[in-house]
Amino acid sequence: MKRLNTIMIVVFAVFLGGIACMNLLAEDQPFSHAENRSLMKFPKVSLDRITSGAFTKDVETYLSDQFVHKRFWTSIKASAQKGVLKKDNNGVYFGEDGFLFEKFEEPSEQLDANSESISRFLQKTKNISVYGLLPPTSIELYPEKLPKFAPTASETAAIRRVEEQVKGEIDWIDAAAALQEARDKQIYFHTDHHWTPYGAFIAYQAAMEKMGMRPYSLDEFTIRTVSENFRGTYDAKANDPFLAADEINIFEPKFDVSYDLDIDDGQSKMDSLYAWEFLKKRDQYSLFLGGNHRTVTVHSHVKNGRKLMIIKDSYAHALVPFLANHFEEIYMVDLRYDHRNMAQIAEEKGIQDVLFMYNIANFAEDQNLIWLRQ
Amino acid sequence: MVFSSLTFLFFFLPLALILYYISPRSIKNVTLLGVSLFFYAWGEPVYIALMIFSALTDYIHGRIIGRYREQRPLYAKLGLLSSLVVNLAVLSFFKYADFLIGSVNSIIGTGIEPLDLPLPIGISFYTFQTMSYAIDVYRGKVRPQKNIVTFALYVSLFPQLIAGPIVRYEIIEKELMNRTFQLSQFADGVRIFIIGLGKKVLIANTIGQLWASVESQGVSDLTVLTAWLGIIAFALQIYFDFSGYSDMAIGLGLMFGFSFPTNFNYPYMAKNASEFWRRWHITLGSWFRDYVYIPLGGNRKGQLILYRNLFIVWGLTGLWHGASWNYVLWGLYFGVLIGIERAGLLKWLEKLPRFLQHAYLLIIILFSWVLFVFEDIGEGIRYARVMIGLSGNPLYNTAFLYDMYTNGILLLIAGLLSTPLFTKLWKRCVERSEIVRNEWIQTVLQVLFFLVILFLSTAFLVDDSFNPFLYFRF
Repeated sequence: MKRLNTIMIVVFAVFLGGIACMNLLAEDQPFSHAENRSLMKFPKVSLDRITSGAFTKDVETYLSDQFVHKRFWTSIKASAQKGVLKKDNNGVYFGEDGFLFEKFEEPSEQLDANSESISRFLQKTKNISVYGLLPPTSIELYPEKLPKFAPTASETAAIRRVEEQVKGEIDWIDAAAALQEARDKQIYFHTDHHWTPYGAFIAYQAAMEKMGMRPYSLDEFTIRTVSENFRGTYDAKANDPFLAADEINIFEPKFDVSYDLDIDDGQSKMDSLYAWEFLKKRDQYSLFLGGNHRTVTVHSHVKNGRKLMIIKDSYAHALVPFLANHFEEIYMVDLRYDHRNMAQIAEEKGIQDVLFMYNIANFAEDQNLIWLRQ
Repeated sequence: MVFSSLTFLFFFLPLALILYYISPRSIKNVTLLGVSLFFYAWGEPVYIALMIFSALTDYIHGRIIGRYREQRPLYAKLGLLSSLVVNLAVLSFFKYADFLIGSVNSIIGTGIEPLDLPLPIGISFYTFQTMSYAIDVYRGKVRPQKNIVTFALYVSLFPQLIAGPIVRYEIIEKELMNRTFQLSQFADGVRIFIIGLGKKVLIANTIGQLWASVESQGVSDLTVLTAWLGIIAFALQIYFDFSGYSDMAIGLGLMFGFSFPTNFNYPYMAKNASEFWRRWHITLGSWFRDYVYIPLGGNRKGQLILYRNLFIVWGLTGLWHGASWNYVLWGLYFGVLIGIERAGLLKWLEKLPRFLQHAYLLIIILFSWVLFVFEDIGEGIRYARVMIGLSGNPLYNTAFLYDMYTNGILLLIAGLLSTPLFTKLWKRCVERSEIVRNEWIQTVLQVLFFLVILFLSTAFLVDDSFNPFLYFRF
């Protein structure tokens, strides 16, 4: 028994001590690509922070943020949970055919409030055509791939609800129906909450029809695979190491194009719709227009004088590369960072068309549309 | 800091063990006291003063009571009274003041501002320990501790500091003053600690998610079976959480040379409410028995006094669990049940087949948890109505089926682990099989078993801290 006890103690000590040493010796990482966020550095020490308890709390966050081989440990957890037939992790469902889905909760009053915000906006705009595009997320398109009996609310019903609630002159672009027809194609990423350029292309065609313009057809683009190792936000939550990564296929026009992007009103410039450096990072979807910014202005080779404002979430980023071939200027704003009076700005800038573009799951919860009411 | 955290496992514990074991024998208590105070200060930097105050006053009270209890009993009595007043005052002020203010406000309509003080961690546990000390000194059961460091160590000993068990002074008196390192004791500590960690992290935390998801659905939308599933999940969660924490405390105690009393003994295997409380949070039940129930006369002073005593003890037991009326009600619920059982139900129950006795216990326990878990008593009653089928909610829906089959295995495992089945099976294997008794095979099996639990617990703790995409969804 003595030998057994000794071995037991040694194993315990080596396990705790070993991991402790690995953490001690590892260099602090400023950023986690897996989680796509900055990691906590060792907190500042001050008497104040110590007595309030803020210091020790931060140390705990620091230690867990900087824990070495995090991805390894989290994938162990995911495998263990699969072993006991758990079909979700951190709120993301493990679907069939490598699909991850996020549950759509029954919309709250926030959705109604957001509809009302758009109605208020419509009261203030004159001589401007306003369009609404609220695409569903992948869970609505592939219910048969969900785990058996997995509960989720209807996004179609939520989209209807918004269309009925909003009062005023607005044209709704029915992306859901168009996407439904193209459901056999890769229109959504499996591991991310966004749609693919293909999905955006489908919605673009529907949008052009509503706006009275002729969309480019599929054979006017070359489809090019630019990434085969994209693991998105769903993957970060599900932490399933056995899941295949996504491809990113972008649509490159066969006709001559040129773009000129102005980010955050002159803060920085880009001459491409794609920020290639993001392909080397975790958050590859930021390839499109370089991710989230307060404002992005896209000037294109088209000289038709048409100006479009897009009030949007990140679903718009995959769509804009198509729209850019039809408007001289696209002015994209993100209400999370930009709280100006958009109706007034649209007027000042001589904008003829405004597009509201949010995926419905995000629209149902976004708390920033309130800024449209001012 | 909780035991089930990365900080504790990979920072505090290795450091504490190293410091403790490299200290020379004469200062081991000082080291352990320092480590314990550091542990307490980690979560509550300011309340460390309170802890030191408690230790000091109880030390002085102990000395006074001890000195006078034979020559001048009145002084000793005053000393005891003063000790109880101080302890209860501290406990009441930090734990119950806001509850009292809220209750007064709602009854007579005053608008007194609540104090909004954070509750000092473990206050309910250590004040109960020090009170038992003062009473035991008064009763002559233990001799007062003259060494202030030793006494302060008793009060602040970190393994049982924040969630029990409630360790009476007499139990660890000798160990406080003289501990010898024993390999087998340390190894047992490691085993019990890992079991406790697994109970908390692998079972309580995961099954707790099921309860959280049921709770978040809102009582009015629940189906009957979902409500049952939810409260079963909660019952398992609280058992594995609490007993897991006690196991971790006992295991840590052993690693530092202390033997703490058992706190849980398969409570869901009980056959009636009285037995349940002899198996659930044993150190609390026996504390109330020895320091409240028996001094009040217990069951020796007639039926009426017995029922009064039950009422007082169970009301207080409820209140101990939290400063809110639902806890009081929860305690009284058991008081009433135990009263009824004593009045004759027990005799009648014992004639039933065993499985019916178990069913009786499980049903009353599940309803007790409904009372326990909803601070809003009205909400608890609505939940219970759904369970009984009085609310007209449907029997089940697809969400229930989903919860059922994705949590089924976990529920089964947790259910079986709350019985002694596996322990018995293992013992039988060892008895029957020569091969399993072989020391090397024992070693490999045991080490593997505990290592897997430790390994998985770490994985589950790491993912707990996994904070995906802050700007998720945009």
